[in-house]
Amino acid sequence: MAQSFSANSHDTAALTARIEKRWAFLMVSIIALLVAIMIFTGLHWAMMPPSRVETIDPSTLHVSGEFVESNLGSAVEPNGSVTVRIVGQQYSFTPQCIVVPSKTPITFRVTSADVIHGMLITGTNINSMVEPGYISTFKTEFERAGDHLMPCHEYCGVGHEAMWANVKVVDKDVFSKMAANTRRLTCDL
Amino acid sequence: MISNRRLVLAHFWLAFAVFGLAILLGEWQMFIRSPLHGWLHNPDLYYRSVTAHGTVMGYVFPTLVAMGFGYAICELSLDQPLIGRRWAWVGYAMIIVGSVAAVVPVALGLDSVLYTFYPPMIGNAFYYIGVVLVVVGSWVWVVLMGVNLNAWKRAHPGAPVPLPMFANVAAAYLWGWTAVGAALELLFQILPVALGFSNTINAGLSRVLFSWTLHAIVYFWLMPAYIAFYTIVPRAIGGRLYSDTMARVSFALFLVFSMPIGIHHLFADPQVGSGFKFIHSVFTAMVTIPTLLTVFTICASVEIAARLRGGKGVFGWLKALPWDNPQMLALAFSFVMLGFGGAGGLINMSYQLDSTVHNTQWITGHFHLIFGGAVVIMYFAIAYDLWPHLTGRAMQDLSLIRTQLWLWFVGMIVTTFPWHYVGILGMPRRMAYFDYSAPGLSGEGITVIMSTVGGALLVVSALLFLLILYRNHSASRAETTPFTFSRAIHEPTSLPLALNGLGLWVGLMIALTITNYGYPIAQLIGLHDAQVPAVFIGGKR
Amino acid sequence: MNGDRPRLISLRNPWFTASVGAISILFVFTVFVGFVWLPSAQNDALFKGLLNAICSAAGVPKAWLSEASPPIQPKTPVSSVVLTPDMLGGASSGGSIGRGATLALRCTMCHGARGVSAANTPNLAGQYAPSIYKELRDFQSGARTSAIMAPMVVGLSDQDLSDLSAYYASLPRSNAPPAQQVHSEPNIVATGSPMRNIAPCGSCHGDLATKLGAPWLGPQPREYLKSQLEAFANGSRHNDISAQMRNIARNMTADEINASASYYAGSR
Repeated sequence: MAQSFSANSHDTAALTARIEKRWAFLMVSIIALLVAIMIFTGLHWAMMPPSRVETIDPSTLHVSGEFVESNLGSAVEPNGSVTVRIVGQQYSFTPQCIVVPSKTPITFRVTSADVIHGMLITGTNINSMVEPGYISTFKTEFERAGDHLMPCHEYCGVGHEAMWANVKVVDKDVFSKMAANTRRLTCDL
Repeated sequence: MISNRRLVLAHFWLAFAVFGLAILLGEWQMFIRSPLHGWLHNPDLYYRSVTAHGTVMGYVFPTLVAMGFGYAICELSLDQPLIGRRWAWVGYAMIIVGSVAAVVPVALGLDSVLYTFYPPMIGNAFYYIGVVLVVVGSWVWVVLMGVNLNAWKRAHPGAPVPLPMFANVAAAYLWGWTAVGAALELLFQILPVALGFSNTINAGLSRVLFSWTLHAIVYFWLMPAYIAFYTIVPRAIGGRLYSDTMARVSFALFLVFSMPIGIHHLFADPQVGSGFKFIHSVFTAMVTIPTLLTVFTICASVEIAARLRGGKGVFGWLKALPWDNPQMLALAFSFVMLGFGGAGGLINMSYQLDSTVHNTQWITGHFHLIFGGAVVIMYFAIAYDLWPHLTGRAMQDLSLIRTQLWLWFVGMIVTTFPWHYVGILGMPRRMAYFDYSAPGLSGEGITVIMSTVGGALLVVSALLFLLILYRNHSASRAETTPFTFSRAIHEPTSLPLALNGLGLWVGLMIALTITNYGYPIAQLIGLHDAQVPAVFIGGKR
Repeated sequence: MNGDRPRLISLRNPWFTASVGAISILFVFTVFVGFVWLPSAQNDALFKGLLNAICSAAGVPKAWLSEASPPIQPKTPVSSVVLTPDMLGGASSGGSIGRGATLALRCTMCHGARGVSAANTPNLAGQYAPSIYKELRDFQSGARTSAIMAPMVVGLSDQDLSDLSAYYASLPRSNAPPAQQVHSEPNIVATGSPMRNIAPCGSCHGDLATKLGAPWLGPQPREYLKSQLEAFANGSRHNDISAQMRNIARNMTADEINASASYYAGSR
C-alpha cells in the first residue's frame, strides 16, 4: 500500500481493483489454510467433536438402565478400557468424586436428570454439554495422575455456583488394585 | 436532512438509557463475584441481574441502535421522507412494552433463566412474551427498510442504491431471518409450556433453534459498526472510501455466511452429529472473509486520508492521521479490539480447539470484547457523528469525547483479557460466587478483581457518554452543514444487479439455512423420546 | 419477462453463477470431509462402514452399540418414584382432599390433628404434595426405612397416597413465623459451600426455587432435621434420587448440620 496515491488518475480504478483482488485472494488462502489445519488435525489425531446421538428418559434414570445409582462411577470393561457413567442433576454430579486411571482409554457417558448442565475438567480439553433427554458420550485418556476440578459450566438454576465435582486421576496399577474390590469405583467420601 | 429527528432520537435515547442501566448491573455482577465482596446471601439476585443484563444488552439495546440508525440512514441516503413513520412508532412502542413485560418478572425473580432461555427451565410467561414483542417490534423496522428501499428503486430505476442504504437493508434482512430461530423456539416450544398447555419440551431442539439466532445476532449487532466504518469514518477523517464495490461484497457476504453457522456453538452438544458440526465450522471460517476485506478497505481508506493530509512513507502516514478526531480514535480502538476478538473467535469456531474454551469465561471475554468493545465503541462514534444533525447543536466536548473513548477502550481490555485467561484455566461462566480459597481457584481471584476494575472504567465511560449527549441538547445552536456519507474514490455510476439489490444474497442465506440446518432440525422435531419434563423455576412458599 | 433486460437469476449473470457455484462447491466439499473423510480416520464402531459413518456424522439417533457390561443392580431398594410436573394429575390437585382427611386419621397420633406435630415428627401441614407422595411411596417400597412408618403404609393404594398428599398439602402451615423472618440465615444455609458441592438450601427447598420432590423445610422439628441430615450423611437414608441429598449432607460438618437444623426449626 506504499504506492503513491492520486485520486485523479484514470488508472486508479483498475489499480485499486487489482490490489483488492490480491488481498482477497490472500485472505481466502489464509482461511483455506485454517480449514486445512482442522482437517489435518481431524485425520492425524482422529480428533473431532462428539457425534453420537442417543436419547434417554431423564425422569426414570434412577429406576432402570445404565444410569441407576449403583451403576454410576468408573467401570472396567473386558477390553481394559474404563467407562465412567455420571448423572448431572440440580446441583451435583453423581458420583461427586470421579476416580480414573492414567494412560487408559476412557469413555464418558453422561446425562442429566433435569435441566441442561455442562461439564469441563480443568487442565484438560474435556468439555461437554450435559442435556436431559440425551446421553453425551466422549472418549479421552489422561496422561498423568493428578487432581482436577469438574465444575458444571452451564447455568442450571439458582444453585449452579455450587455444582463442583472432583476428578482424581490415579496411576494405572493403583486403580487396578482399587478395582479388585468393587465393580463401580468412585472416590466419594 | 432528517425529517424524523424525533423518531431517531427516541430510539437512540431509549437505547442508551437502557444501556446505562444494564452496564451498572454488569459491573455489580463483577463486583459481587470478586474477592472484594463476600458471597451473596441470595444467589438468585445475581442470576436475575445476568438475565436482565443479557436481555437488555443482547436484545433491546443493539436492536434500538440499529433501528434508530436505520431510520436515519433511510432518509439521509435516499433523500426521501421515511415511508411508514406511524408504523415505526408502533414498532417503537412494542419494544417499550416488550421490554417492560420482560424485565419486571425478571426483577421479581420469576424468570432467572438468562437471556439464552435454557429450557427445560421454564419461568413466568411474561418474560418470553416480552422478548417476542421486542422482536416483533424490530420486524416492523425490517419491513419498513425493505419498503423504503423498494419505493426508492421504483422512483430511480437502474440507479445505484446508495451504499449506506444497501448495507442497512442487508442488516435488516439479516435480522429478519436470524430472529426466526429464537422466535420458533419461543412460540412453539417455550410459550406453550410457560402458558400451561404442555409439560414437556425437547431441550436439544431448543438449543439448535436458538443457535440459529445466537450467532447471526452478533452480526446484526455488528452491522451498524460496519456501516459506520464504510460510510462515516472515511468522510469524518477527511478521506475517501477505497472501494464501493468491495463494501457491497462484504455486506452481501455477511448476509450469506453469518446465519448458517450457529452450530459452532453446539460442538460439545450431544444432539448434533459431527458432520454438521464440521460444515458449520468451515462456514464460520468463511464469515471472517468479509471482516478481513473490511479491514483492508478501511485501512486503505484511512491511508488515503493520511496521504491527502500530507502523510509520507511506508508507515510514516500513520502520523499524519487526525488522531484528535473522535472518529479516528474510535475506529482505531475498534480495530484493535476486533483483531483480538477475531483471533479468539477463530479459536472458538475451530472444530477441535473449541473444547478447551467452550462455555468458560473465555467466551464471556470473547463476546464482550467483540460486541461491547469493537461494536459498541462504534455505536458511540455513530451517536457523536449524528447528534449535531439530530439536535441542530454543535458538539463541543471534543476532549471529553476522547477521554470517554479512551476509557472505554482501556476498560474493555482490562475487563476482557483476564476473562480470556481464566477461561483457559477452566473457570466456568455465570456463577454467583467462587470459593477463591480453594486450591484450584486461588489464582483466579486477582483476575476477577482486574475485571471489576475494568468494569468500573466502563461504567465511568458510559456515564461520560450519556453526559456528553445530554449536554449537547443545551449547547448553542449551530448551522450544521448537511449530513453526508463518505464518498468512494470511484463512485459507482451503474452496478451489477447482484450488488444493487439483496435478492441473490437473501436467497443464498435461506438456501444455506435449509442445507445446514434442515436435517438437524427436522430430525430433532421427530425425536419424541427427547421430550423431557419442564422444570419450573422461581420460589414457591 | 423482457428478454433484453438483464435478470438476476440467470445462468448468464456471472454474479449468480459464481456465487451459487462457489457456495455449492464449498458445501459439497464440507459434506464430503465432514461425513466421509474425517469419520474414516476414527477407530470407532460408530463410524465403521460408509453408510454407518454418514448416518453417525449426520446425528441419526442410535442405541449404544453395547460393548458395555450390564448395569449393576442396587443391593438395597432405591426410590422408584418418577417425579414429573404431570404427577398427581399436575399442578391442580389430583387427589381427593376429603378422602385424604379420612385416611389421615391414622396419622394424627404422630403428625398432629391438623398436620402440625407436637413430637419430633415432621410437620405435614402445607407440605408440597409431590414431596409427601414420594416419601410415602418410598416407605412402601422400602427405599426409606422406618419401623414406625413401614407398617402404616402397608396396603395403601396409589390413590390413597395421592389423597393423603393432597389433604396435607391443603392444610395451613403452622402459625409460627417462618424461620426466615426470625433471624438471618447461617452461611451454610444461605450460600452453601461451592467447593464442597453444597448449594444454598433454598435453591431446592422452596425459598429460591423448588426442586420437584424436595420438601418445604420451615419450620420442622430440629431433632428430626438433624437426624435426617445425619442419616443422609452416613448413607443410612438413601431414598434421595441419584444421591442428590447425600452428596450435600456428607460434606457438611457437624456444626453446619446443627446450624441448618436450628435455622429451619426456627429456634435460636
